[in-house]
Amino acid sequence: MSDMTEDTDRLGALRRWALILVPYLWLLGLFLVPFIIVLKISVSDIALAIPPYAPTLDLSQGWQGLRDFLGKLDFENYIFLTQDDLYWKAYLSSLRIAVVATVLTLLVGFPVAHAMARAPEEWRPTLMMLVILPFWTSFLIRVYAWIGILSGEGYLNQFLMALGVIDSPLTILNTPVAVYIGIVYTYLPFMILPIYATLEKMDDSLIEAAEDLGCTRLQSFWLVTLPLARPGIIAGCFLVFIPTLGEFVIPSLLGGSNTLMVGKVLWDEFFQNRDWPVASAVAVILLLLIILPVVLFQRNQERQGEAGK
Amino acid sequence: MTGGAPQVFAPWDDPKAKPLIEFRGVTKRFGDFTAVDAIDLNIYPREFFALLGPSGCGKTTLMRMLAGFETPTEGHILLDGKDLAAVPPNRRAVNMMFQSYALFPHLTVYDNIAFGLKRSDMPKSEIDGRVTEMLKLVQLGPFAKRKPHQISGGQRQRVALARALAKAPKLLLLDEPLAALDKKLRHDTQFELMDIQEKTGTTFVIVTHDQEEAMTVASRIAVMKDGRLLQVSTPPQIYENPNSAYVADFIGDVTIINGTAEPHPDGYAVHWAEGQAPLVVRSPLTLSSGQACHLAIRPEKVDVSKTRPEDDNVVKGEVIDIAYLGNLSTFHVRLPGGQMLKAQKFNTEHSARKEITWGDEIWLSWSDECAVLLDR
Repeated sequence: MSDMTEDTDRLGALRRWALILVPYLWLLGLFLVPFIIVLKISVSDIALAIPPYAPTLDLSQGWQGLRDFLGKLDFENYIFLTQDDLYWKAYLSSLRIAVVATVLTLLVGFPVAHAMARAPEEWRPTLMMLVILPFWTSFLIRVYAWIGILSGEGYLNQFLMALGVIDSPLTILNTPVAVYIGIVYTYLPFMILPIYATLEKMDDSLIEAAEDLGCTRLQSFWLVTLPLARPGIIAGCFLVFIPTLGEFVIPSLLGGSNTLMVGKVLWDEFFQNRDWPVASAVAVILLLLIILPVVLFQRNQERQGEAGK
Repeated sequence: MTGGAPQVFAPWDDPKAKPLIEFRGVTKRFGDFTAVDAIDLNIYPREFFALLGPSGCGKTTLMRMLAGFETPTEGHILLDGKDLAAVPPNRRAVNMMFQSYALFPHLTVYDNIAFGLKRSDMPKSEIDGRVTEMLKLVQLGPFAKRKPHQISGGQRQRVALARALAKAPKLLLLDEPLAALDKKLRHDTQFELMDIQEKTGTTFVIVTHDQEEAMTVASRIAVMKDGRLLQVSTPPQIYENPNSAYVADFIGDVTIINGTAEPHPDGYAVHWAEGQAPLVVRSPLTLSSGQACHLAIRPEKVDVSKTRPEDDNVVKGEVIDIAYLGNLSTFHVRLPGGQMLKAQKFNTEHSARKEITWGDEIWLSWSDECAVLLDR
């Protein structure tokens, strides 16, 4: 009798474990294992071979092979990154561009999300559709289209000159401005949607209550709308900041040679120099740069959640 | 008010009393829909005034115009004699308690109550004292540091009340304040509301669709329908002397009998069914002979007996249904000709219920003062 309950208990526990295991396996297979491979390459040396790095683990040598393998790994690629100022300049420039672009996207995205959330209910699905619609066209084609708009003889310059606002074409393409335009345009939906989601479920009577208690429109926005939209704003900022930090396509198509971003450096190391170990080191540092703020943010959220209880 | 009589609070009967709120010909239209239709109404200081009506009758629109969230299409609203039209909601000495409570979820109970005070010109040093006072008034002191989602529905309702009262408004608007509470809590809270209203001396205007709630808390009730005021009066007046069949039916339980009036000493005789004696009723109304009318009879005014009694109106009927409510029973009786009449009987004797049962032939009677004659 007791054996039977023990058996069913064990079976139930096993089932629970199996359920939890699936997402862990996913993370392990598609995130942790690739990361370890990249990490390993980053502590290897460049070699004229296939694959283009050494050492490779030779298990036929047994313990000695493993010891030789581990002995050959070192951090000289990371040290190299600190010696050539190209790398830290690229990181810094990427961080700056990502921060500025995130702020710009927020400045454009918040009013759009706010207007959508306050629009008549029957319009909202249409507006939402319009925000998502650009995704139906290839990202690459849309970025190429911006070249046609921003170039010296592009539509924007033609339009401004026709209006008489400017006499000679502005140089926008191949400058950081073009990169910002490209990033804001591309990542805007990622900012709008989470903010819209938080604003949409906000009770309108909260704004009325704030006004009833003496707030001006601006004060009620600042004291009620904004704090309540905070989770959406933070989510949107992360969704824009993280991919922007490693962005490669937009700066290489719109930014020209003037824009230094780590995504481009990474590409050059892999495909121009074929220096996989250094490229991997660049990638690992980039990952740490992204993970750090996310972890800090989550800690902060947890602490706030506990304080609320 | 004369000499030794106890002073009754009835400023609406005093021609010298100055109203706090005056609606003058106020109309509100939304497109083609007229939500509020040419309303004239005075509300006096310290009143607990109830706007009562079914949903869509315009009561909420009327209240939102007082708060400043809607502006009248026509007419004027005066607060203390001054036109409110140009005053935005944040500058009105009017606060509102919202049906959803509209508590700020990101702020603690304390900060919710302090919210309005911080926007006012009250010195910072006095705010804490005022908030503590409000917390005490609604008995929420120990919960000051909690967020709204960490307290119960009844507590949230009290926070909303404290927040709306904190700025000591001239007028407090309550939009269905008790709708979200369960029945038992609602009853307790009604008395608490009256208590707080008396303590603070604030004028309250409450919007509700619950006639029992309006009867319990209000000094006067305005019954609304389709954007118009049908009757504005004290609860006993509305109950005993409704001015229309709609009001009679909306407030409490009633039987409405249709008939034609014929003058009779002290009032009218109402002919209501072929071959039946007319029902006599006293009435201040003047109706022409043969005019169509309603007769409204409250069930508790009708006596039930098994033998024929002596009274102004006596009819015989068959018991169709009995609703036993413990302290009293309601009988649904079919009169000759099919007219149904409700009658109530207090169950004073232990076996009272057993005396009369389904299918019994019984006598119903009431005096000529107990029914209300209404013109059609």
